[in-house]
Amino acid sequence: MKHNRIPWTILAVLLVSALVLGACAQQATPTQEPEVQTPGDIDCTGVTAGDTVSMLYQWSGEEEAKLTAILAPWSEACGVTVTPESSRDQALLDTRVQAGTPPDVAFWNVTQLSQYKDKLVDMTTLGANAANYAGYWGEIGTIDGRWLGLPVKADVKTLIWYSPANFQTAGYTVPTTWEELDALVEKMVADGNVPWSMGFESGDATGWTGTDFIQDILLVTQGPEYVSKIITGEIPYNDAGVREAYEIYGKWAKDPKYTVGGAEGTLSTGFNDAILKVFSDVPEAFMVKQSGFASGTILGTYPDKVYGVDYDFFGVPGAKGLQGGSDWLMVFNDTPAVRSLIKYLSSDKGGQMWAEVGFDLTPNAAGNASYASAESIKKAELLSSTTGFTPDIGDSIPGGFGSVEFGGITDFVNGGDLTTILDTIAAAQADALAQ
Amino acid sequence: MAKTIALPVMKQKRWVPWLYLLPAMIIMSIFILYPMINTFGLSFQNADSTASAATTCREGQPCWGVFENYRYALTNELNMETPQTTWESFWISSYGNTIKWLLVMVTGTVGLGLIFAVLVDRIKLESLAKSIIFMPMAISFVGAGVIWKFVYNYGTSQVQIGILNAVITSLGFEPVAWLSKIPLNTFMLIVVGIWMWTGFCMTLLSSAIKAIPEEIIEASRIDGATNFDIFTKVQVPIIAPTIVVVITTMVINVLKLFDIVYVMTGGNFGTNVIATRMYTEMYTNANYGRGTAIAVILVLFIVPFIIMNIRRFTKQEAMR
Amino acid sequence: MTTVTISKPISKPRKRHHQHSNLGTSIGIVIILIIWIVPTVGLLVTSFRPLSLINTTGWWTALNVNNGPVSAQHPDPNASYVEKLSTRFTIDNYVDALTGYRGTSTYLDACASGTKPLGMNCNITDLLNPRGMGRAFINSLIVTIPSTILPIIIAMFAAYAFSWMDFKGRYAIFAILVGLQVVPIQMTLVPVLRMFAGMGINGTFPAVWLFHTGFGLPYAIYMLRNSMSSLPKDLFESAYLDGADHWQVFTKIVMPLTTPAIASLAIFQFLWVWNDLLVSLVFLGGSKPVMTYQISNMVTSLGAGWHLLTAAAFLSMVLPMIVFFTLQRYFVRGMMAGAVKG
Repeated sequence: MKHNRIPWTILAVLLVSALVLGACAQQATPTQEPEVQTPGDIDCTGVTAGDTVSMLYQWSGEEEAKLTAILAPWSEACGVTVTPESSRDQALLDTRVQAGTPPDVAFWNVTQLSQYKDKLVDMTTLGANAANYAGYWGEIGTIDGRWLGLPVKADVKTLIWYSPANFQTAGYTVPTTWEELDALVEKMVADGNVPWSMGFESGDATGWTGTDFIQDILLVTQGPEYVSKIITGEIPYNDAGVREAYEIYGKWAKDPKYTVGGAEGTLSTGFNDAILKVFSDVPEAFMVKQSGFASGTILGTYPDKVYGVDYDFFGVPGAKGLQGGSDWLMVFNDTPAVRSLIKYLSSDKGGQMWAEVGFDLTPNAAGNASYASAESIKKAELLSSTTGFTPDIGDSIPGGFGSVEFGGITDFVNGGDLTTILDTIAAAQADALAQ
Repeated sequence: MAKTIALPVMKQKRWVPWLYLLPAMIIMSIFILYPMINTFGLSFQNADSTASAATTCREGQPCWGVFENYRYALTNELNMETPQTTWESFWISSYGNTIKWLLVMVTGTVGLGLIFAVLVDRIKLESLAKSIIFMPMAISFVGAGVIWKFVYNYGTSQVQIGILNAVITSLGFEPVAWLSKIPLNTFMLIVVGIWMWTGFCMTLLSSAIKAIPEEIIEASRIDGATNFDIFTKVQVPIIAPTIVVVITTMVINVLKLFDIVYVMTGGNFGTNVIATRMYTEMYTNANYGRGTAIAVILVLFIVPFIIMNIRRFTKQEAMR
Repeated sequence: MTTVTISKPISKPRKRHHQHSNLGTSIGIVIILIIWIVPTVGLLVTSFRPLSLINTTGWWTALNVNNGPVSAQHPDPNASYVEKLSTRFTIDNYVDALTGYRGTSTYLDACASGTKPLGMNCNITDLLNPRGMGRAFINSLIVTIPSTILPIIIAMFAAYAFSWMDFKGRYAIFAILVGLQVVPIQMTLVPVLRMFAGMGINGTFPAVWLFHTGFGLPYAIYMLRNSMSSLPKDLFESAYLDGADHWQVFTKIVMPLTTPAIASLAIFQFLWVWNDLLVSLVFLGGSKPVMTYQISNMVTSLGAGWHLLTAAAFLSMVLPMIVFFTLQRYFVRGMMAGAVKG
């Protein structure tokens, strides 16, 4: 009998110690590196030292480190403690909002502005500085007449990455118009090279690189106004202009002469792998259309490559506007600490910090002169000189549209019938915008 | 004085059973029963639960009134132009895939688990063998996703980093896109599921087999039974209740199985199952009405197994 | 009242009869075991390789020193095999995972070059960095141990009632018990979170303990009931004859004899809670990170840093495997032998 008591005693001790530890467990807060800042240009009115702001964002790893560095001057100056949480799980944000326990602020996608519009606080109430943002940012962030989201990070997608070294060896030059791009592609094929590397595979978002490409083609053939009208629903997805874009894209994506592996390759290659195929020691293709993050991917696998020599990019030639990803700050609880955060990020200082740290691009125009790397400067120039910026269609139309669009283009490359596919997507568009 | 009654063997005061049961029942009611009832109610409302589901009907489309979410859940994935297309689209819809998972994975894990439990029982390195089979359960889904990436990876034209395609290309064939070829991909995902869960079945069945008194086995051997006879005529019948429990548990696990599909394909390329579809509707599409309707349908799938369990429950009681 | 005594169950395994487990069976088992373990071995090997090699060469070629991109080659083409091999493997993935390093290079390189990574001190204290696995390990333990023990204790009482007591509504409640196991967890999050917020325990460990207990109970009761009801009736009859009541039978007969089932249940519940991410995230939040949370944060939204996952996945696997090994001793044959007297 005694023999049997010992395991139970051990269990009991473990249980009690766990309960005690749990009661005394300290909160883990991230440490922040103190930065030297000029006092006086950060507005801390109403904040008492020790106030907290709870944040939820999708960034982790190196991205999170950058955000912490950007916020450091503000949290130091105002004595605010940040309690961050990082998750890409939409379920988490939804659950917290639904249950009435949202974070003070969240950095999330533009669709959430419409989704949570009844629970968000106006930017104008919070004291955001609207002057630092171009008109199109204000339009995108305004839902039902209220400015609900502060754009904090932007990334340009309308770029084509290539290797200047490989271009030079093969005698190719960077095209400046769409016709030149078309001609270059044909020339590459004639030389026996494969022009494009494409990859759809991306877990539950498989197909997004394709829909990005379609949107960029639309920016060339139709322009940013057209794309904005698709987002609002004025133009249905099965319009003739969209059809034309799909046909242009399909010619390249499905044919092994034009893209590595043809349709099979496009469908099964991971989107990161597709980037690497252009820059491997024996490259499999010459160009990949991809967003600004591609340089990170390249350097991760080939740390010795040099920007400008081994890899570089050019904007999609002939595009009359830009497509980009954007991250938005939205506020659930109005507190003095939150207000100081909003004022900081929309101020000149905030824009400059964002650009200095180099966390992609900042929509805050005050940061335009502060980028550190040649690559960022080039991207920022593209962004500041554009007349039309369109966020990703799939990100902007709420509800189920995004995944139907991904499924549609995947079917298309798999050989599905274009008319049926476009009709299905148009139906999802109508469904999503009607609610 | 022994009472010759079937069950219960021992008498007790009326309230004693409830003393033992009450903590469990209270906790389960709060954490599971109440939310489920709540869910059931939400399935009759619209996307953000502000109005009845009947308001989401669109003109020119069929409408089931307050059951509109159920109409969507049941028919949206099907292409109902002809019986042929309905049949085909059913088998790559979330329902068809779930049926595939149920048939293949439950049979696979329980069958393999049983075989391993019996075979491994007799060898010397039993602990090591069991640990190897069990190890996949200890690796979280995140780890499993990365592991199988290195098995199924499609590779480039020059280099393979996925071992399956490396083996295939070294035999002279073309690499296969395991995760995008319909309907092969669902079965490749099921392989991952079997790899992960067989250890679970094996552990349960093994402890049941070990509980069989050694005397019975020895008696059968003395009577001249072969290993196979002992397996089919002695061991399996004795552990039959445990086998039912394991099958039921695996059915439940397969129905709820979400991570493998979500992490590896996101439900694309015709690999969707009911649980991933529910997640997509609720969180990606922010449509609570449809998401909860799918959840209710998921729960209804378990009804046949509840009946099976009750039957066995009553049989067991009658035998005692 | 006379006390009930039963003979102590024999816990040492009887001498086995190694039935001519013929060569065929043994070879078959070994082949299956090899196939079974290959994917995991792949992960282990990969966790020791640098990212540039992971993406470009198969892990089974790890001992080949000449393949892969130019940047991964040893600078001296005439170096010995061993020298070249040493550059192809690295412990950076593990170090980065343990310290929670967030940057483009590696922790060791960054510290060696003098620039301290954000929030770190480049000394041994970095093992307790809030972003690293060290702190998360402790939090995971605090979450998992009570969440394993509590449901088992509560379930044992309920399972005993189902097995050996009579009460109205047994069948109905049993049916509901089976049905409750299939309720998807996402359905329960919002109502429970609201309730916790109302009670003010959001973000604390007791909230997670309660939730895991609630969610783990149906399966625990189901399994334990099966084990308890398969005990022979004679045991109970003789105990009753000796004048025992339910409490004595429960503690002195049933609990010891269902130890294998309890051990199985403990393993599974431990694993389920240890590897869970969503529940900890919803009820505990990111301020008390558990291991799964840290792991998920090693990968940026674009998938960069996934090579750290290989190391992190192994680190989080160590304890569950130890638990599994330790509880093996409860899976022994012959627990029942001799327990029934006459």
